[in-house]
Amino acid sequence: MTDDMGLIVKTMARTTIPLIGIFGAYVVSHGHLTPGGGFQGGATIAGAGILFLIAFGLKEMKKAYNKHLYSALEGIGGLVFLGAAMLGIGTAFFYNILWNNGPILNGEPGTLLSAGFLPIMNLAVGLKVFTGLVSAMAAIALYRRWKS
Amino acid sequence: MAFIAAFIWCYILWLGLTAGSSGLLWSSEELIAGLVFSAVIAYTTKGLIGEKASRFLNPIKWFEFIVYSIGPLFWGMVKANFHVAWLVITGKIRPGIVRVPVDLENDAQYTILSNSITLTPGTLTIDACPEEKALYVHWIDIPEGLEKPESSEPVAGSFEKWARRLGR
Repeated sequence: MTDDMGLIVKTMARTTIPLIGIFGAYVVSHGHLTPGGGFQGGATIAGAGILFLIAFGLKEMKKAYNKHLYSALEGIGGLVFLGAAMLGIGTAFFYNILWNNGPILNGEPGTLLSAGFLPIMNLAVGLKVFTGLVSAMAAIALYRRWKS
Repeated sequence: MAFIAAFIWCYILWLGLTAGSSGLLWSSEELIAGLVFSAVIAYTTKGLIGEKASRFLNPIKWFEFIVYSIGPLFWGMVKANFHVAWLVITGKIRPGIVRVPVDLENDAQYTILSNSITLTPGTLTIDACPEEKALYVHWIDIPEGLEKPESSEPVAGSFEKWARRLGR
């Protein structure tokens, strides 16, 4: 009894996991322009991780999943969010200093490099949500066995 | 090569998603952001997409894919939809699961053939068994005497030849 899906599901997962990943990155990085943002894009990319877990089985997931890396990345996501919020602490917490007189990310509204620290925060939240959800699903899948 | 294949696949999708950011084309910041994100996604999925995926970077193969999808596949879907509509009206069906022996070598060929069979209504791939070189197909209306087909021709028409060529 193997714990992976059949050949067709696995081959389709090989092609669709990069597709889901790049679409999630698009949703995260355009959070200030289009619907979506950090949580939605992060959950989309986590869907790619869960597709990997389901299609290829727990044995492959154990090889690909690194507990320490995911734990560290989740912490880094939170810290980057907090760091972006602290940038304008001279005026106020969450003061969007990059938008008001920053060196970058203060382009024309509607372009990618606008809206101050919002893209940075979206990326941080996306990273945190992705790693957190994948860690949670991996932990649930690894839970010892059905009985006791 | 696996990295390059995953990178190009991701970057094409990114270009499709962000088209129109500068007129009808792409603004330079979108292009650069696409490079960065595609590199990250390709680096993480290069072990998954596999070393052999780079054979799909061949432009001749893209052309064949386009010809296949608007030619035989679309025409087969149209024909089969009308056939199933006829079966729904008349109600005369003879369902069953048949074992279809196929002559394919790799995973991509099995996937293309299985998905083509599933997309044409009336037939539905249940399982692909590369070790016994056969597909198990649920057929809604088995013609008399075809319960054990010798090849995939009565089930899938020319799809097996196309799948062998496209996945090579």
